[in-house]
Amino acid sequence: MTLEFAQAVYVDEGETVTFMQLVERTGLTEAELADLVESGALPDAPPVPVEARFSARCIVVAHAARRLRDEYALEDSHSLAVVVRLTQRIQALESELRRRRGGR
Amino acid sequence: MKYKDYYATLGVPRDAKADAIKAAYRKLARKFHPDVSKEENAEEKFKEVSEAYETLHDAEKRAAYDQLGRHAPGDEFRPPPDWGQDFGGAGAGQQFSFDDVDLADLFAGLSGRGRGAAGGGGPRRANRPYPGADYEAAVRLTFEQAFDGTELELDLAAIEYDAQGNARRVPHRMKVRIPRGVTDGQKLRVPGKGGKGVNGGRDGDLYLDITVDAHPLFRVDGMDIHVELPLAPWEAVLGASIDLPTPAGRVALKVPAGTRAGQKLRLSGRGMARPDGTKGDLYAQAQIVVPTVVDESQRKHYEALRDATSFDPRAHLG
Repeated sequence: MTLEFAQAVYVDEGETVTFMQLVERTGLTEAELADLVESGALPDAPPVPVEARFSARCIVVAHAARRLRDEYALEDSHSLAVVVRLTQRIQALESELRRRRGGR
Repeated sequence: MKYKDYYATLGVPRDAKADAIKAAYRKLARKFHPDVSKEENAEEKFKEVSEAYETLHDAEKRAAYDQLGRHAPGDEFRPPPDWGQDFGGAGAGQQFSFDDVDLADLFAGLSGRGRGAAGGGGPRRANRPYPGADYEAAVRLTFEQAFDGTELELDLAAIEYDAQGNARRVPHRMKVRIPRGVTDGQKLRVPGKGGKGVNGGRDGDLYLDITVDAHPLFRVDGMDIHVELPLAPWEAVLGASIDLPTPAGRVALKVPAGTRAGQKLRLSGRGMARPDGTKGDLYAQAQIVVPTVVDESQRKHYEALRDATSFDPRAHLG
């Protein structure tokens, strides 16, 4: 087994990807990605998705969406967008809970 | 190689229609998905049903699986010598090597939408460049690790392809440097440490999903850190120099005279480090703590204080 060293970096909000790059990198379909954009699940997504560029943070969200799609066999892109939004809300609440538990 | 009965894993007959396979998988995914399941060994069971569905929901992989024949689960077996040639596998005259291969690896390289690989499929699909898959890993840090930064060893199962385009999982241990100042819920990227690109495609990245445990003393809010500052009544009234714990070590904090409960004292630049090198602040919130037990001498001092002052903490209530 090899052991290599690597440096983790913050996801660069200055880095952008195109709609098609996002499709290719995450394995989502164009329709699924378009519905994610329309639902507001992708942070700072541009209004005309196919022609515009997305923040690198969108890669993270789109990856999560693809994982949810595969692991729950979700095939309706609208439902997938709803599940992603609800998952984001749960994660935010869990994070808030951990934050409030600190310092006690 | 050990045989796995994917149909039995999903609880469907071998001639089940695609819809029945999907329905069975969805039911089991809801039952065993580690995000929601409280079942024992849920993660292990979810992996099993995922592996079964990954093969059976794809018509080409299912046909390849069926050609392996029927065996008892756990039985050692070898696929027929010409197996795989009908499914975009080893080319004419070539044969798969089944040494050190898991059943799931056998199907990972066949065409179809691959789980965990963006776009899926192996390198055999075409000669155009394909980017490597982005990997994801959950990382749990202590507050101290998040504040100071740390180095972690991560064990990953990298997917690699041999010259014939056959995929196999390769254990891969990596030491990753986590920058200081990461916060709960943050995502980090390790460039180029995902799957290998194919035909000149870029290597994928490794994304780290960060969770930071709560700390008994410190609470993080954005890049600022909050800590409670318990004060005796006389320290609040007269002022004091307090030995205050901070994540970077203890500091002498000057508490001004007349400090009220709830008031926050700010220590600039003692919060979490930002990516640009600046830091948040640390806020110490004053709490006035009174002794629950006083002896006779102390009681007399409190009574003398009461008699000597006209202070009314409820004056504003009218």
